Amino acid sequence: MTWLVIALLAAGVALQRLAGMFVGTALIARFPAFERLASLIPAAVVSAVIVQLTFTSKSSLVIDERLAGVAVAGFLVWRRAPMVVTIVAAAAVTAFIRAAFGL
Amino acid sequence: MADADLRVKPDWGVLTGIAFTFFALGVTVNVLVLERVGSEIKTVVAAIVVNSATSELAYLAVRDAGGSVLAALVAGWVVASRFGLLAAGLGGRLQVGRLHRALAGLQSFDPNVGVAVQQPTSHGVMRVFWMVTLAMHAGWWSGTFVGVFLGNIIGDADRLGLDAVFPALMLAVIGNLLRQRQGMTAALAGGGLCAVLVPIAPAGVPIIVSLVGAAIAMRVRVPEGTT
Repeated sequence: MTWLVIALLAAGVALQRLAGMFVGTALIARFPAFERLASLIPAAVVSAVIVQLTFTSKSSLVIDERLAGVAVAGFLVWRRAPMVVTIVAAAAVTAFIRAAFGL
Repeated sequence: MADADLRVKPDWGVLTGIAFTFFALGVTVNVLVLERVGSEIKTVVAAIVVNSATSELAYLAVRDAGGSVLAALVAGWVVASRFGLLAAGLGGRLQVGRLHRALAGLQSFDPNVGVAVQQPTSHGVMRVFWMVTLAMHAGWWSGTFVGVFLGNIIGDADRLGLDAVFPALMLAVIGNLLRQRQGMTAALAGGGLCAVLVPIAPAGVPIIVSLVGAAIAMRVRVPEGTT
């Protein structure tokens, strides 16, 4: 990774964030329906990130020990457990299954 | 008051959870980056200026697989596209000047935007956004410096189940949105589209297309008196 690559990578990421903030916000101001749409974007996009982090390995869909950890997290979120408890439980369950089954 | 019950309150437990997650992320990601880049200074500078671990990892993954620099750069940019979408979601809730708006845009990540947009007022959105951002950076920076200068003190992150930590955090962040009919629909549609596209679409594209989930959720009727 050269300095030029770091600069180009950084510029591309920053420009997308700024475009979202300014162009996206302008669209929301111009078209009121976009405001509700914008409030739902985090649920849709973050959910997709969860799917990618839980069910994928490279470009394949897989079911492995992560699912157990995230499922426990889902239960704890539903029961309104503190966030720290949720996170630690997800890691502990995933680690336990790997250790118990030698995965 | 349904809204008051539903929103995530950024108390110490929430902020500690976010900081812990980003500490683990900072260590594991930057140990990987350092292995491939071979320079502590470059690793730290990249962590500062790129400001996206997924972009760095996507770039390195394509290069590891034998891809060109251009292909790797495009992969790094595409996986960061979700930050633009999240910034747009945040921007509609802000009533601040252009400089403040630009700074917030440049710091748009999944957890801080996810928690901030659940706040009922523009002031609350801004206050919570920066609180969560500070917790994220405290964890990320301490993790980065530990990973780069002390090495991998965590050991095998997967053996400790740390690969389940980030999705668990994300779930906790949007957990309260899932209690609303439109939020649940957006999440199911966005996640479902992503799952369908992962095996067939280039990296990053499934995340962009998940935006359609928000549009689908717009068609869900909301009972009067709720959001």
